[in-house]
Amino acid sequence: MQFLSRYGRTDWFGPLLVTILAAIIVGSLSPSFLSAFNIQVLLLAVAINALVAYSQMIIIAIGEMNLSVGAIGGLAAISFAGMMQVWHMPILPAALLGILIGLLGGIINGVIISLTGISAFVITLASLSIYKGVNLGITEAQPFYGIPNLVKHLGNAPFLGPLPWLIIPTAIVGFGLWLMLTRLPIGRCILAVGGNRHAAELSGISIRLTVIVAHALSGAIAALAGILLCARLQIGQPTIGDDWLILSFAAPVIGGAVLTGGHVSVGATTLGVVIVAIITEALVLFNIDPFLVQVVLGVLILWAVGINRLREFRLKPLRRA
Amino acid sequence: MAEFLFEALGISKSFPGVMALQDVSLQMREASIHALLGENGAGKSTLIKIITGIHRPDAGELRLAGTPIELTSPRDAMAKRIGVVHQERNLIPRFSVGENIYLEQLAGRPLKPLRYPELYRQSRKWLDLLDLDVDPATPVSRLSVAKMQLVEIAKALALDSRVLLLDEPTASLTPHETVTLFKVLKRLRDDGVSMLFVSHKLEEVGELCDQVTVLRDGRNAAHSQPLQGLGRQDLVQLMIGRKEQIADWPARNFAAATPALALKGVSTILGHRDIDLTVKRGEILGLYGLVGAGRTELAKCIIGQFAVTEGSVEIQGKAVKIASVADAIHRHGIGYVSEDRKAEGLILMHSVLANAGITVWRNLGRHGLPLTDGRIRSRIEPFVRRLEVRTPSLAQLVGNLSGGNQQKISVAKWLAAGVKVLIVDEPSVGIDIKTKAYLHELLRELSDTGTAVLVITSDMPEMITLADRIAVMNDYRIEGTITNTRDYEEMSSRIMSLIHRVEAA
Amino acid sequence: MPSDGPAAASLDASDTTLTPSPRVRRVRFYLTNEFGLVLLIIIFGAAFTFAVPRFLSHFNLFILGRTAAENIVIGFAMMVVVVTGGLDLSVGAIGVCAAMGGGWLMQVAGLPWPLAVIGGLLLGAALGFVNGWAVVRSGLHSFIITLASMSIFFGVMIFITRAQAFRSIPLSFASFAHIRYFGFISPLLLLAVVIMLALVYLYRLTALGREMLAAGARASAAELSGVRVKRVIILCHMLAGLLAGVAGLMLVARNDAAIPSMAGQLGQDWLLPAFLGPVLGGTLLSGGFVSPLGTLLGSFLLTLLTNGLLLLQIGQFWVEAVLGLLLLVAVLLDQARRSFIARRRMI
Repeated sequence: MQFLSRYGRTDWFGPLLVTILAAIIVGSLSPSFLSAFNIQVLLLAVAINALVAYSQMIIIAIGEMNLSVGAIGGLAAISFAGMMQVWHMPILPAALLGILIGLLGGIINGVIISLTGISAFVITLASLSIYKGVNLGITEAQPFYGIPNLVKHLGNAPFLGPLPWLIIPTAIVGFGLWLMLTRLPIGRCILAVGGNRHAAELSGISIRLTVIVAHALSGAIAALAGILLCARLQIGQPTIGDDWLILSFAAPVIGGAVLTGGHVSVGATTLGVVIVAIITEALVLFNIDPFLVQVVLGVLILWAVGINRLREFRLKPLRRA
Repeated sequence: MAEFLFEALGISKSFPGVMALQDVSLQMREASIHALLGENGAGKSTLIKIITGIHRPDAGELRLAGTPIELTSPRDAMAKRIGVVHQERNLIPRFSVGENIYLEQLAGRPLKPLRYPELYRQSRKWLDLLDLDVDPATPVSRLSVAKMQLVEIAKALALDSRVLLLDEPTASLTPHETVTLFKVLKRLRDDGVSMLFVSHKLEEVGELCDQVTVLRDGRNAAHSQPLQGLGRQDLVQLMIGRKEQIADWPARNFAAATPALALKGVSTILGHRDIDLTVKRGEILGLYGLVGAGRTELAKCIIGQFAVTEGSVEIQGKAVKIASVADAIHRHGIGYVSEDRKAEGLILMHSVLANAGITVWRNLGRHGLPLTDGRIRSRIEPFVRRLEVRTPSLAQLVGNLSGGNQQKISVAKWLAAGVKVLIVDEPSVGIDIKTKAYLHELLRELSDTGTAVLVITSDMPEMITLADRIAVMNDYRIEGTITNTRDYEEMSSRIMSLIHRVEAA
Repeated sequence: MPSDGPAAASLDASDTTLTPSPRVRRVRFYLTNEFGLVLLIIIFGAAFTFAVPRFLSHFNLFILGRTAAENIVIGFAMMVVVVTGGLDLSVGAIGVCAAMGGGWLMQVAGLPWPLAVIGGLLLGAALGFVNGWAVVRSGLHSFIITLASMSIFFGVMIFITRAQAFRSIPLSFASFAHIRYFGFISPLLLLAVVIMLALVYLYRLTALGREMLAAGARASAAELSGVRVKRVIILCHMLAGLLAGVAGLMLVARNDAAIPSMAGQLGQDWLLPAFLGPVLGGTLLSGGFVSPLGTLLGSFLLTLLTNGLLLLQIGQFWVEAVLGLLLLVAVLLDQARRSFIARRRMI
């Protein structure tokens, strides 16, 4: 019992149990679920969605929210595709420029939020429209089809068994974030600002800089997600990112993140992404209407936030009994 | 070696319309615990804000070990090794004890990996010094309030602070935790640390401190004097400028009066046990206790915000079940003037009209007639006038009024609602002397017209001025109820003994 | 806290009026947000007319007015929630659900359109109730509740309707969106104005409306003054759902069909106009202050800008970027305006 309660306090234990349970249930009901091919498909989805989740997770860590995650991803994706198709840029510089665009988008968000003190919600709602608008203005709602074959290959093929190439950047980013949030001062500053802004400021942490860095990272990661999705879909689709909003919140929240800030977990967030991917897959396999995915995501968010709040309450009792 | 470790000399500070501090001085020696006393509104908090770098003085200077310094921000004060432990906690809840102690390090090089074993080892030193037996890796949120406070002290010491300011440190501590804290503070003092102890609890000051500075109306009433030889009455006289004076009101007899509010064997969800309390029609019952005794919490249970779990609550003799605050106000005629005027008593961004009228909207809007500003005005204007509220118009935002006028508005709305039972929680916090006396007169008049008044206050003279009877509360229980003889010495000692009886056990 | 110094002492306690002088009132009028918006509408209207004379044609004014009506009501739906200190991300989803519900009642159930409209509105209010109840019961912020509910409502609706539109909407209903009074005024615009008047009445002349403002400004003080904050929050969410339903049904009339994608994925296309109108109109995002007239003018202004830009052939794809920029500028200006007023310590 003590073993359970000790692990019960961590963020990843619950999601891990759910993941294993879900995999077992779905696997036993539909044997093809655990096939190498299916796992590859699953991992492709996880690779991209994890980056989307990380992008929001960083902002949840400082106690804010970023509505423009999808818009930045979409803009980066079409820029990547467009630069290769129209300007005939080689792959790597185009990808780097795409990420740079995301970085800049995030920095703009961070600068405006920290300088004006206006809520992140409104600022990122405005920037979401601006970035999306620029996207549509450039593409006129038409996708870019000229994606180099190498990119298409990397976006779908495996490099080792069922492991797709796409999982590599995600794994690197995930590991990097984990390292940053647990060991590097800049990551601890982000969590400190989310945990108690006033205390952080008193100890000399620059709130302004921390907010800007967090938003910059969020933008860059979202851009990477957009570029990877572009590779996977094999076209530069302007609608990339349109449906990222719910997912970007669902996974971190399932992973134990507290929306007021100061507490996130890379591992648990990743497990959250896996859970969502399994459930989505399951719905398809069992011929359940794929539109129900939305409903499931919404319910998952409510359930996860509710549980997180109960855990918060146990940390601070109302009064002595 | 400078004689004084920290000095504030000739400090003056004014805000629009208010002279907060005039030529105030304070000198702290090494290895000393220096008390800073003063009534609410005397300028204590302004001085604290200047010492901690939040405000800049208009005149005067600050000196650290003889050298003049200027503090540009709280951050700057910390950098100059002036440590502060505030009333509210300034820790990162999810971070470990060790990390909180060395939080400063995070502001350094952003990409240099942290070495936790090293960090925890270093923090052990401070934990041992403070006799704090916790694993440095424990998240701070898991600690008790008392231990969190010690972590903050460790944090200040780790910054090499030789000057430490403690603002109402025992406010949320149990008596036992207070004893432990004092042991630690005395040990620090013996180590050479200079502490400024800000508190309104004179008994604690007497036990702990060796020097005292008293502020009154923005000036020094006493300047860095040794505490030896000064008794409680001397300190009080310094704080209020005269011997505690009790208004000479005739005693009133309530033997024949009907009870307006009666609590019988009440226990609440917040931890009260077996509360017996009666307030008769036209009577003023005082509820005295130290901070943390549970008085405000009891008031909030009576007004329906938190649940009563056992016992009965009777209004005008009839047992009632108060389901919600709206229920208590509109159905049973109970009102509550909150101690936290700015967050609970008033809506600062709204007008006088909106604030004073909030309790009568339901009533006036009953028959579906348009609830015009005019109708609300005619209902509340008499009370705003009667209370002599100084405001250019009813449309003035309450946030722009002075503290005294704000308090008057927060009382006016209950008068307008015609409540039968009024609970008043710390009525004169942050109020000037004149308004305070005015409010006392008002409460007396109010009770004369039949309203039952329950006054919660930690201000002994105010209690003895106002109350017909005094109930003493400690640790969420009623220790006893006594009739007010209006003899200050007698009453204060009887009240103190009722409270401290628990201590002896 | 600043005291009421010399300025306040100009009126002593024996003064019988306790109202501000006419001069002060006139100055304050010119500083109001509403006046600024009217000015901007006139300026931009004049600029567009000069650039594109077609702007003032009866047809264009009609389209302008009709689209403005939709944006105005969408803005109202968000406004009533923001006033009480919350957010409602699901306005679009609820609007579409109500519209599809109404469409189903008209086409499949064959009900006469007034009954179908009532049915749709009731559905909107019911979904709003679910939001409000969830917020109050869980104690969670309405942001996360409505983020979840937006996907749940939309998902269930898509599942039930199989993403099929209802295209046989009775002409008698759809005609509301096509009739033109005097050649250029749409009945929908008149409806929006009537709704605005009703909201003004609510907030100025009813206890409920005043309580909503108090709860939004400071819930703890309102609670301790006898306001049933929980009930107020549930009611404001229901009202938001109702208004979202009105907007959804307006779109059904305009399109002659109830289309599930009318508000984009999960209804998120409505988010920008839903916030832009109230923010331009001076509604405080933190709650406690409202201006229905301001929201109407703000939504009208944003529709005017969109209309003008389209006529100038800016291209519909850039319009969204412009609106996002407008929202940004609007919040920045509002911030500046507030600190200016606060510094002068005027009301």
